[in-house]
Amino acid sequence: MTDSELHPYVEWIAREASRPVITDQAARDRVMAAVRAEPLPRSYFGLWGRLVRPRPVSLSPVAGALLAAGLVGIGVLAGTVTHNRDGQSTVGQPRAAVASRLPVSDTVVRFVYVAPQASKVYVVGDFNGWDTTKTPLMRSATGGVWTVDLPLTAGRHTYAFVVDGSWSTDPYAPLAPDDGFGHANSVKLVRRGTSL
Amino acid sequence: MTLAPRGWVIAKDMSDDAADVQRVLAGDVDAYAALVDRYYDRCARYAVRMLGNRDDAEDALQATFLRAYRALNRYQERDRFSAWLYRILVNQCRSVAARRAHRDRVFVREEALLLNAPDRRPNWSGEDEEFVQRVLNELDPLLREAFLLKYIDELSYEEMSAMTGVGVSALKMRVKRACDRLRERWERIKDD
Amino acid sequence: MIHASLLRRLRISTLGAGVLVASAISASAQDTNPLAKLEPGGNRFVIELLMDSATAAGLPSRPLLSKALEGISKKADGKRIVEAVRKRLLFLRTARGVLGPVDDEELSAGAALLEAGAKPAQLELFRPRRKGHNDLEAFIVWADFLQRNVPSEEAYSAITKLWVDGADDETFRSLWTNVQSDISQGLNPGTALQNRIRETPGRASPVPVKPPEG
Repeated sequence: MTDSELHPYVEWIAREASRPVITDQAARDRVMAAVRAEPLPRSYFGLWGRLVRPRPVSLSPVAGALLAAGLVGIGVLAGTVTHNRDGQSTVGQPRAAVASRLPVSDTVVRFVYVAPQASKVYVVGDFNGWDTTKTPLMRSATGGVWTVDLPLTAGRHTYAFVVDGSWSTDPYAPLAPDDGFGHANSVKLVRRGTSL
Repeated sequence: MTLAPRGWVIAKDMSDDAADVQRVLAGDVDAYAALVDRYYDRCARYAVRMLGNRDDAEDALQATFLRAYRALNRYQERDRFSAWLYRILVNQCRSVAARRAHRDRVFVREEALLLNAPDRRPNWSGEDEEFVQRVLNELDPLLREAFLLKYIDELSYEEMSAMTGVGVSALKMRVKRACDRLRERWERIKDD
Repeated sequence: MIHASLLRRLRISTLGAGVLVASAISASAQDTNPLAKLEPGGNRFVIELLMDSATAAGLPSRPLLSKALEGISKKADGKRIVEAVRKRLLFLRTARGVLGPVDDEELSAGAALLEAGAKPAQLELFRPRRKGHNDLEAFIVWADFLQRNVPSEEAYSAITKLWVDGADDETFRSLWTNVQSDISQGLNPGTALQNRIRETPGRASPVPVKPPEG
């Protein structure tokens, strides 16, 4: 619809409404007062400001170097750092159970599913080629909780559980878009060095 | 694609907006006042027309310029600063409107008064601002928003779409409906 | 990087020749065609062509292969698998058009967000890139809201409000956790989001900070 097609009344409303609105300097001064009370926009600290600020976690130099190289995640380190009697720490090999069969990965992530009545639970997703038999979960001693720890590359992963043959999403994870096959999937975000 | 350098180099050919942004990012807070001065009135016009009163509009404006300031490091020179600022403004007006939705019900009563008061009939020679605002206030907020962006701010549908997150055809529909409602209103009251 | 190695090892078949290799995907080190479960010709060929198109367009083909494997696993009809793969390629293209030269992870997340129902114009706001940071968390939370039928504009409004405010991943994550908890207690998703967004603080009230020297 172009302006020439506007009904005259509508055009009049538009024209009147387009008149400038007078504001006073005081309002603008209030804006600047609020702005001056703010910390400077983050760029002031440099683009990498957030990354170079000191972090609360302290690691031994060896562990720190490995972490910085992106070769192991904090979850893995926590399980393998040992201290000898001198108080120095050494880092053992990352858990090898699944690591040798998957690409070099960033972080070990735990998958959990609660199903006291089930007899078999698998996790299936883009990290294991959607193979429904490759990655079983282990049942807890009390019987209700199934878990497995997997090393995953950093990024977004889509997955679901197969519980006694039926597909199920993870109730504690965000939903992925419709899979296009009539089932729903869940999403895990894996960050370098942390897990969710 | 390469990002223009941030904060450390000020090129001669940059627009005023981009230069001011660079100055602020380099630490010169007062440079932000130049941006505020340049855009406040225009944003105020949208905010007042959209929200219907000055108090709400000022809240929205304050929040808009503050948020724009905080997010300044995300603005890239190849975006038009005014368009980027307006996106924030449109969102802020929606927030303010949502928080004060209960006030809109007041306008229904006022319309009844309006129709019964012959001296408030529209005429062609400069009706006061208040009347036009009442007319706009009667529009559904989404229709009003589209109408204002199209006919007061004179944006293209593509720009409106980027600002509101609404598809172009939906926006065209809203603008059309806004015009229909306004025309209907005219039909209703012109014979009083 | 896994993507580079996968691309190096993928050899897309042309008419009458070639074997698809994608060992980075499956845990097995053998050279087997992961699409072997689809009978050759017809659907499998089309999928391989779609993956080829992706590579040629500078888009990651791994998400397409993954979708095909998913379909096989879920015992879907061959035609349906092709449709799903085709759709994913379309969304990857669109995401590329809107987000520009982001890395494969963000591109896939953006494509998934479009798949969930976000509009390309809505992703425009996320085009500016911040070094050392990505928007994966925001995209994932947003897509989840859409999947739960939060109205599109409300979801967009909420996410952009946080984003413009400089919210970090924790904030998006908390919002998601709270909204999900409300929904599980029976609240309507749109209402749950509106409530939680209203109470999400804008940045904490300004604390005077001494700016660094220089």
